[in-house]
Amino acid sequence: MKKTISIAVHHLTRVEGHGNITVNATDGRIEKCEWAVPEAPRFFEAMVRGRHYSEVARITSRICGICSIGHTLASVKATEQALGIRVTPQTKMLRTLLKHAENFDSHVLHVYFLAAPDLLGAPSVFPLVATHGEVVARALRLKRLAHEWGSLIGGRTTHPTTVIPGGFSKLPTVRELEGLKKKLLSAVPDLAATLDTVKALSGAIPAFDRPTEYMALHAADEYALYDGQVQSVLPDGDKASYKVVDYRKCTNEYMVPTSTAKYTKNRLASYAAGALARFNNNHGQLHPEAKKAAAALGLKPICVNPYLNTVAQVIEIVHSYHDSLRLVDELIKKGIREEGLVKPTKYSRGAGAVEVPRGILFHEYSYDKDGMCLGGNCIIPTNQNHANIQGDFEALVPQLLQEGATEKGMEKRLEMLVRAYDPCISCSTHFLDVHFVR
Amino acid sequence: MSISSARSRLLIGLGNYCASDDAIGPRLIEHIAEKGLEKGFRAIDLSGNPLNLLSYLEPATARILIVDCARMGRKPGSCVFFKANDVKTQKRLPGMSTHEGDVLKILDLAEQMKYRIPPLEFMGIEPQSTESGIGLSQPLESRLPEYAAIAVKKLCGG
Repeated sequence: MKKTISIAVHHLTRVEGHGNITVNATDGRIEKCEWAVPEAPRFFEAMVRGRHYSEVARITSRICGICSIGHTLASVKATEQALGIRVTPQTKMLRTLLKHAENFDSHVLHVYFLAAPDLLGAPSVFPLVATHGEVVARALRLKRLAHEWGSLIGGRTTHPTTVIPGGFSKLPTVRELEGLKKKLLSAVPDLAATLDTVKALSGAIPAFDRPTEYMALHAADEYALYDGQVQSVLPDGDKASYKVVDYRKCTNEYMVPTSTAKYTKNRLASYAAGALARFNNNHGQLHPEAKKAAAALGLKPICVNPYLNTVAQVIEIVHSYHDSLRLVDELIKKGIREEGLVKPTKYSRGAGAVEVPRGILFHEYSYDKDGMCLGGNCIIPTNQNHANIQGDFEALVPQLLQEGATEKGMEKRLEMLVRAYDPCISCSTHFLDVHFVR
Repeated sequence: MSISSARSRLLIGLGNYCASDDAIGPRLIEHIAEKGLEKGFRAIDLSGNPLNLLSYLEPATARILIVDCARMGRKPGSCVFFKANDVKTQKRLPGMSTHEGDVLKILDLAEQMKYRIPPLEFMGIEPQSTESGIGLSQPLESRLPEYAAIAVKKLCGG
């Protein structure tokens, strides 16, 4: 069908930060099809120069208000590698528990507040209060659970204070962990209802397959979130592994004229990071309950529909919930030991990676002999997804034109596609902008 | 392990620490912690995650004062107390995410969801700059101790 289309979405809503969508087609011929990120660079790598190693994670945690736990963990891990610090098994367990809290929290926010309005045909979560009040109430209960869970382990859930190089500045007590277990157990009905809701809405998720490369952390003994090596899998199942310290070899950052953010690529022209990438790489290591959830929601590896990233997030909500119950039980059984901080044994260069809600996150620092930071580098997952979003646009727009989609319909599908990646383009300012009415 | 304690008075700082004067809320909380001023109330840094405010809207909370950067058309550094229904947001945000969200919208959501909202006021501070960068502008930095004293008096003296 010959169609003329003009779409210009400036400041796409319900994503974190500022991104633009532009599509122009005349008589069915596509002239422009572009995903652009116009946000100003934020220079965190410069801000850490000259800072003591004990301060660096405090600064880089501020990169994001949603993924601040992940930034703290990636930063501390990179510093620990540079300083020759090997943390204790208890520290690793507690940090994994904290990582689960963040992914659970962020996924609940994305699934219920940012993606569900699209599936229910609402402009935002607000109209859903009247029509689906119990669903919104459930989302808020789950968010609160994650807030309490993260606060217990991290001191606070936004910009955690207890995670420091070498271990923890404050540990939870066994009694507090027993309290957390009780709260987790009380969330079983909400978790089951979440699955039911997503299953009921899954028919509204668009069908669109575009095979690409999927990159995530991979560990031999667990569904990797806190630790592991880098792994990428192609649609035919071919896998490649990279050491975290060699992350530049698999991210290959480059500049594009349309965006201020750097783009990345590896074995193909683009790759995807995030829940779907983790699922495609590590599905065999999901908790059995999460595997059941995947079966119930019909998600199978290797899934190449980017819209189903939201479904993969739901599966990870189930995984984080059950794996956290396991970790809490184990910590209660072993008891919490007061451990001193592991001290530095050298000062050099190190890299760390964790899986934040939106995908694999890399931090790297180098330190001088006094432990002062000489330089840093952070590659966030949203930037790793930009080239893939552009690739999706280039495949989806001709398909939609072929299907005879209306301009409005096409705009919605493209917006939904970007939102499915749950991008966190930058933490913008939050100031109030008001005028007085009395 | 509750995040609230009985009849607590809460001083909550909101804002982006790395966006100049937008950091006034978190910086005030940091100042209070550094100077050991947290007595008879809890100082909480919610930074860029205002949705978590909902966790504190419960019967155990006696009173909340939110410190936030506010564009009010006044002189940079001006400090104004107001309640949510004293003002109308100028932001045009059809959706809601924690980043683009507006704490006033979050309070709307709380009201619609029938949360028990304790007495809650804002201490709005007019910014000079909200550009990317760590550190307040001079007009705000120089008044940080004064803002802390005013906030504590408002929360505990009233």
